[in-house]
Amino acid sequence: MSEPEYSVHRCGKCGFRYDEALGLPEDGIPPGTRWEDIPDDWFCPQCGASKADFGEM
Amino acid sequence: MSETMIPPELVAPAFNPASFANRDDVHAIFTRLRKDYPLSQVEVPGYDPHWMVTKYADLREIARQDDIFHGGDRSKTLISQAGEELVKQYTGGQSNIFRSLVQLDPPEHQKYRAVCSGAFSLDGIKAALPGVEATAKIYADKMFSLAPECDFAAEIAFLYPLKVVLDLIGVPEPDHAKMLELTQWLFTYADPDLKRPGSDLTDPQEITRTWGIVFEEFEKYYQPMIADRQQCPRHDLASVIANGKIDGGPMEHRALISYFIIASTAGHDTTAATTGHGMWQLAQRPDILADLKANPDLIPGFVEETIRWASPVQQFVRSATQDYEIKGRTIRKGDLVYLSYLSANRDEEAFPDPFTFDHRRSPNRHVGFGFGGHTCLGIHLARMEMIALWKEIIPRLKSVELTGIPRMAESEFVCGPKTVPIRFEVEKA
Repeated sequence: MSEPEYSVHRCGKCGFRYDEALGLPEDGIPPGTRWEDIPDDWFCPQCGASKADFGEM
Repeated sequence: MSETMIPPELVAPAFNPASFANRDDVHAIFTRLRKDYPLSQVEVPGYDPHWMVTKYADLREIARQDDIFHGGDRSKTLISQAGEELVKQYTGGQSNIFRSLVQLDPPEHQKYRAVCSGAFSLDGIKAALPGVEATAKIYADKMFSLAPECDFAAEIAFLYPLKVVLDLIGVPEPDHAKMLELTQWLFTYADPDLKRPGSDLTDPQEITRTWGIVFEEFEKYYQPMIADRQQCPRHDLASVIANGKIDGGPMEHRALISYFIIASTAGHDTTAATTGHGMWQLAQRPDILADLKANPDLIPGFVEETIRWASPVQQFVRSATQDYEIKGRTIRKGDLVYLSYLSANRDEEAFPDPFTFDHRRSPNRHVGFGFGGHTCLGIHLARMEMIALWKEIIPRLKSVELTGIPRMAESEFVCGPKTVPIRFEVEKA
């Protein structure tokens, strides 16, 4: 069974995009990190909004 | 461990609006603070002690904790002890004349923000794009009709975002000039060219008097519009605000008027400042203009860098509601913290070569729109309108140079160039 495709999540406050395929290596999040594996207390690196403020695109 | 108390003579100029006429001097102060006095206190005569938050990481940590660091318990912007007392006399005990989103704290802040969050969301703002693009073309045409010279700040940058936001609110065009004037009285109350005519800056009561006049002028202007939109809502922002509900009821009067005031002032003055800086850079850096002409997809990145560079909202002040430990320091309950967005956006630890304007900077996580729950509500509109304007101007602009030294407004709060004199050539059609 193949892995599901990577998804992109957008911050509802500032528009910042988290792309699972790319991760955020500069913040210690390697490429391929799934959205559900990002801690709940993580926040948008652009504007500080909470993880809950993101929506899947 | 670095020093915890900053010599007041080092910071005092940064508390004086006139100093901002020369931003290089102000940057020199903040560069020194970041290096020698990160997260330290200062007691400038006439002011309560302030923690000077000048580092990017510290500012972000504090700014996103709205429950702990309030904006409405004390003046949200830098003010002297005497000034705050006068504001309290004017308001009957409050430290802020205005009660806009900027001054509100949780949970009230979220409730008021929700009134317009849909209209200003990425999806909500899409409907405004055709109108914004049409306005961008009007002002690009105006600029090129002025060839070969114009004052880009006064003739284009001040007026374009003004029209964009006031059209969205529903303010008729003949009233736009009055709105610009009131905005400048408010944000550049101490600038000799932009202040309220007749205001005497040697009088300590003058700031409060000006702010009071600004509030009352806006109140007088918007009250009939509010009544009109409550009776007959239209497809404009005035209708959204006028009919906004808080816990199922109407907004508190001062907060309602302040909502209109912040939309009518911060909604364009900040963008005007940023746009003025953008042309200032293009006039000094032909390499950037050439790169943008060859690669128009770089325009959004150029806009982001203009925001970092301009940092039009230079500071806000918060007060601590409890003791808070940060970087081995203890900010005590009741302490004031001065958040320098201007400094954070030039922090050497956050931005490589922070004093180089790099339109290809990536990532560019500046704090020009703030950080946390108070991040600018108009962030998407601001980006959209600046991108739209540069998309109109850059392909038609063959070359541009300064014909004089741009002059910065004298303001310790919202600040940008009040003149950007340029000479330019237009591409042949």
